[in-house]
Amino acid sequence: MLDAVAAGLLGMVEDARVVVCLGPGGVGKTTSASAIAVAAAMGGRRVAVLTVDPAARLKDALELPDTPGELHRVPLPDSALGTLDAILLDAKGIFDELVRRLAPTQAVADRVLDNPVYRNVAGAFAGSDAYMALEQLLDIVQSAEFDLVVVDTPPASHALELFDAPERILALLDSRALEYLGEPMRILGGASSRLARGLLSAVLAGLERMTGLSLLSDISALATDFGAVVPGFRERARAIRALLRADDTRYVLLAAPDPHATRDLIAFAREVERAGVTLDAVVVNRVLRFTPEDQAAPASLAHGSAAPLGPSSGGAPRRRWSATLARHLVACAKDLDTLRAAQDAVIDGLRDGLLRAAEGDRSSPVWVELPALSPAPTSLDGIIALARALAGGRARSTSAA
Amino acid sequence: MRRRVAPGDARGAPAEARHASDVLRVPVVDVGAPRDRARRETVRARGVIDPIAGLQYPGGVAGPRLVIVTGKGGVGKTTVAAAVAQAAVTARRRVLLVEVATPGRLASVLDVPPLNGEPRVVLDGLSAVALEESSALEELVHQLMPLRLLSRRLLSSDTFRIIAAAVPGIIETALLARIIAWLEEQDRRGRPRYDLIVLDSPASGHSVPLLATPRTLSGLATVGPLGTIVRKTQRWLADPAVTRALVVAIPEDWAVAEAVELYASLRDGLALPVARPVLNAVFPKRFSRGDEALLEEAESSHSIDPQLLEAGRYFIRRRAIAMEHGRALRSATRERPIELPFLFSSSMTWEDLAPLADALDPVLEVA
Repeated sequence: MLDAVAAGLLGMVEDARVVVCLGPGGVGKTTSASAIAVAAAMGGRRVAVLTVDPAARLKDALELPDTPGELHRVPLPDSALGTLDAILLDAKGIFDELVRRLAPTQAVADRVLDNPVYRNVAGAFAGSDAYMALEQLLDIVQSAEFDLVVVDTPPASHALELFDAPERILALLDSRALEYLGEPMRILGGASSRLARGLLSAVLAGLERMTGLSLLSDISALATDFGAVVPGFRERARAIRALLRADDTRYVLLAAPDPHATRDLIAFAREVERAGVTLDAVVVNRVLRFTPEDQAAPASLAHGSAAPLGPSSGGAPRRRWSATLARHLVACAKDLDTLRAAQDAVIDGLRDGLLRAAEGDRSSPVWVELPALSPAPTSLDGIIALARALAGGRARSTSAA
Repeated sequence: MRRRVAPGDARGAPAEARHASDVLRVPVVDVGAPRDRARRETVRARGVIDPIAGLQYPGGVAGPRLVIVTGKGGVGKTTVAAAVAQAAVTARRRVLLVEVATPGRLASVLDVPPLNGEPRVVLDGLSAVALEESSALEELVHQLMPLRLLSRRLLSSDTFRIIAAAVPGIIETALLARIIAWLEEQDRRGRPRYDLIVLDSPASGHSVPLLATPRTLSGLATVGPLGTIVRKTQRWLADPAVTRALVVAIPEDWAVAEAVELYASLRDGLALPVARPVLNAVFPKRFSRGDEALLEEAESSHSIDPQLLEAGRYFIRRRAIAMEHGRALRSATRERPIELPFLFSSSMTWEDLAPLADALDPVLEVA
């Protein structure tokens, strides 16, 4: 299996400092991110894996406690040459932490953190866990405790949600919005009538009553204090931007053979390319395989014309076989054939689309297909097995293309 | 048997044939199906009083008016939503399919051009729409602020986005208010324009906050137009004669665990009317215990084609896994799951959804 490593996914990971796993929900992104991290740690690197929303069983498998935002050493088997730490994204905590760090004084930090509007906004700031994941990633990378950080990103329908996140939050923090917030009536501009001002006051007052917040004064106060933190955030946004585009930051797109997701995935991959980064690998997960060798069934089976029973070496059981049973067996083989053909068509479509998206002078992404694991890995051993499958398994490298 | 009209057909047909008055002549339902006939007769006999609008529907339609399809990403929510819609269309209800979460997917399942924010007839009895946060929010603000100029000003600024983020639940309220408005919409004869709205909701992580919002907000002492909207939304959502939340899982650990959690938070946490949980993609039962023994025997005597044996075994294994997850779902929710068959078809067209639509009929029954 080890000889396949170079051709497989892990070759791509070998000299990476950051691996970002992208893709829609329900394709096993978190599990795959963990498997990549485990594989690299087994091979001797000091690895951290940042997960966003792991299923309970995966958390158990990594022995990850419920406290987000803290690194926990994952107990790898003795054969592991490196180490693995896992951390659960703490979307709210990381932002608080940054405000504390970037505020010029403790007093400003306390005022921001205690502001009721901030408390409501921070969880949903700039609308995305994606941004928080990137902030946390930057933190881990800057700590310099690890050779490799593997990031599992929140499910996103648009790649830009991730790549533009720092810019978006900066735009919000930087814009005149903050000035306006300091004095909400300025929204209306100079020419607005008294009636308009009256209505706006009424609406804001209604919102205040509804939420129990003293919105106007709280927002003004927050706007003033936030002004002091903005330069720090700007600097971090630049650092995140550079990190996302660094040569040793690699991107893995996770997908499932779902006919209705193909178009979105291809569009997603194009957006990634437009954001100025290369997809280094595509992992098609949850591919149904139903024979050990995955050989194509003979065409005769597909048409149900073959005698379902083999040579009559064992005559006795043959007599007890009902015609129904034989028919059912043939039906199963036919259904699986249909399924496999459908799945292959989806994977081919995905392959065409994604490899075309990756065209240019860059090499094409490594292509890996993984069988559906049923049940999904629930133990470290299971993840290690998946890591092996990722390393060699069914890897089909296309980088020679 | 029932006949279904494919949206692809509707799209391919000449424009005039797609007009509602023309397509209505298409016999979608063959009254010969006994189960259907029985159900429709009950439906007609009752005549329904809408608990909120107080409307008497002439020859009315009983059963839920809002089905909310939820579940973890990747369990086939959009497919299930489309199949619920098909079941209702087949029972001659006028249906609106609403997509919130994953723009593009619904259009792909229906095989129609991309949807936008205006409901569009995609086939006889079925309209579809892609609901966007920003336009729903805009509409809500217009409702709250009668002065257009003012609301436009407010919306055009970054400031508003920050205020919106600062007011918990305003986006969710806006989305639900739009859906409720469609529920209340009437045609020229004063009947509801849509008998049933099927909501393909965001993945569970987002759908609980969405559905919790009106309950949370209506608990606060609210006055003014926003309070009215929030309370009305909550009345519709909590009404067992109107709403049915449909929690979808597939036979995999992560999906079932999530469904169990989701089911509990919707039913017990939010007190929403929930339908039986749905277990999607269940392999069919093709072999008895006796058959399995025969297969073993045949293998040891090498009297069976190994490919056939492998196919049979694969089905047995997948069926067993599905049954195990079905039992887990049942014991955790104390409801018998609705099992939807695995679709082997290569195309996944509207017609292919028919077996799912049949299995989902119970969702549309009167509570």
